[in-house]
Amino acid sequence: MEGKTLILEPGALRAFLMGRDERIKTLEISLARPGESVRMICVKDVIAPWWKMGDFQSGAGRLQVLRNCAVVTCGRIVGFQEGIIDMSGPGALYSPFAGTINIVLEVEVVAGLSPHAHEEVLREAGLAAATFAGQPLRDVEADEILTWPSEADSSMFSHLPRVAYLYPLLSQGLLHDTYVLGENANAGLPRLISPAQLLDGAIISGNCVSACDKNTTYHHQHNPILHELCREHGQSLNFVGTVITHEPTRLAAKEAAAAGASELIRSLAPDGVIISKEGFGNPDTDQMMLIRTLEQAGIKTVALTDEYAGPDGCSQSLADVTAEADAMISVGNANERIVLPPMQRIYGPVKDLNKLAGACPQGLRQDGSLEIELQGIMGATNQLGFQPLRCREV
Amino acid sequence: MVKEIERAGIPVVHACSIVPISLTVGSNRILPTIAIPHPFGDPEMGLAEEKGLRRALVEKGLKALATGIEGQTVFS
Repeated sequence: MEGKTLILEPGALRAFLMGRDERIKTLEISLARPGESVRMICVKDVIAPWWKMGDFQSGAGRLQVLRNCAVVTCGRIVGFQEGIIDMSGPGALYSPFAGTINIVLEVEVVAGLSPHAHEEVLREAGLAAATFAGQPLRDVEADEILTWPSEADSSMFSHLPRVAYLYPLLSQGLLHDTYVLGENANAGLPRLISPAQLLDGAIISGNCVSACDKNTTYHHQHNPILHELCREHGQSLNFVGTVITHEPTRLAAKEAAAAGASELIRSLAPDGVIISKEGFGNPDTDQMMLIRTLEQAGIKTVALTDEYAGPDGCSQSLADVTAEADAMISVGNANERIVLPPMQRIYGPVKDLNKLAGACPQGLRQDGSLEIELQGIMGATNQLGFQPLRCREV
Repeated sequence: MVKEIERAGIPVVHACSIVPISLTVGSNRILPTIAIPHPFGDPEMGLAEEKGLRRALVEKGLKALATGIEGQTVFS
């Protein structure tokens, strides 16, 4: 660190990452800054470099946070559905990661790895790079200190409306994986978890899903719903707790998850609950089941969702609906098309560009511009509400 | 696709693992299947058992196709 500026030595980071995983064949490290003519493609994950001070357990102690910096991992598409980040031009308006100083890792793995091993190499390289970049924070005095409420606080605010948060994670296997406290979230959910643990980096993304509504690790680290509920706790509401749940692949498992999550939410005795989402299509069913079960139990729900309403916005926008879903917040139409102009620098495997979800074979034009749905832009319609897209009454 | 084929006068069985989606989009003959990544199979079963399951699903689907219905029907 020089004052409050992180100085990163690419050679040292490179040696660190190559030295800890023999499965990395080649590694390029670049910097992408806001406003630059840079496009990152086949982005897997985005991670904020943090440093946990001392030897505290998850959810306790102090976490040092570098506010405007992120690690971005790019690699070949082994399943499907990675995304784009443009640092300037019209695409930059749709991704929050156009506003961070990004340490970009382009990772190529050795031959013969399975898709799951490929993703593991990239995921671990990203997390290791974030730890490497976060380590100098241990010697820095913070500009601002935020304190998260403990659960014991909730009894103090009995005069305020009781609000809970229901936080579904995509965890279906088949490269749709999320990790909670180091364990794959395909088991052990739903469960209660404290906001302090969640905001202490409890959740890691390992998801190959559409870029626009994939909750990256960065999104989990900065979940704006949790931030807002913690901020308003004791002011306008009584934040009584959070339940994380999953979105499984079998109907009976979806029904069991909805029943289990609703029971945990009911144990918090909330007046209302906020429900987010990850992914689209079958997760619409999970969200609707949660809404129906909770509303029928007398608990008001507000749910965030994006829409797949066709390029003109006129098609049915959700795969599933229920009459009880009467308070929905749309975070945008993922099918809307955008033309992204050519960029001077491209990071990532350009050959895989047409395989991005939201891209089409004719999308890449001769001049290097690209027509794509918002679906292909990282975080464009994030269902935690972490994006610059707004709607305005006219 | 289900709706467009039916509009052309050809009956359709929608084999679908997540039945609520099939009901919401307006399929009329719905055949519940196993799971999203493997609608007509179950990797947790042995080969012979799984083959029986697959045949039963296809036969149920053919029967559904030939069954007269009054409205949306789930052939479970």
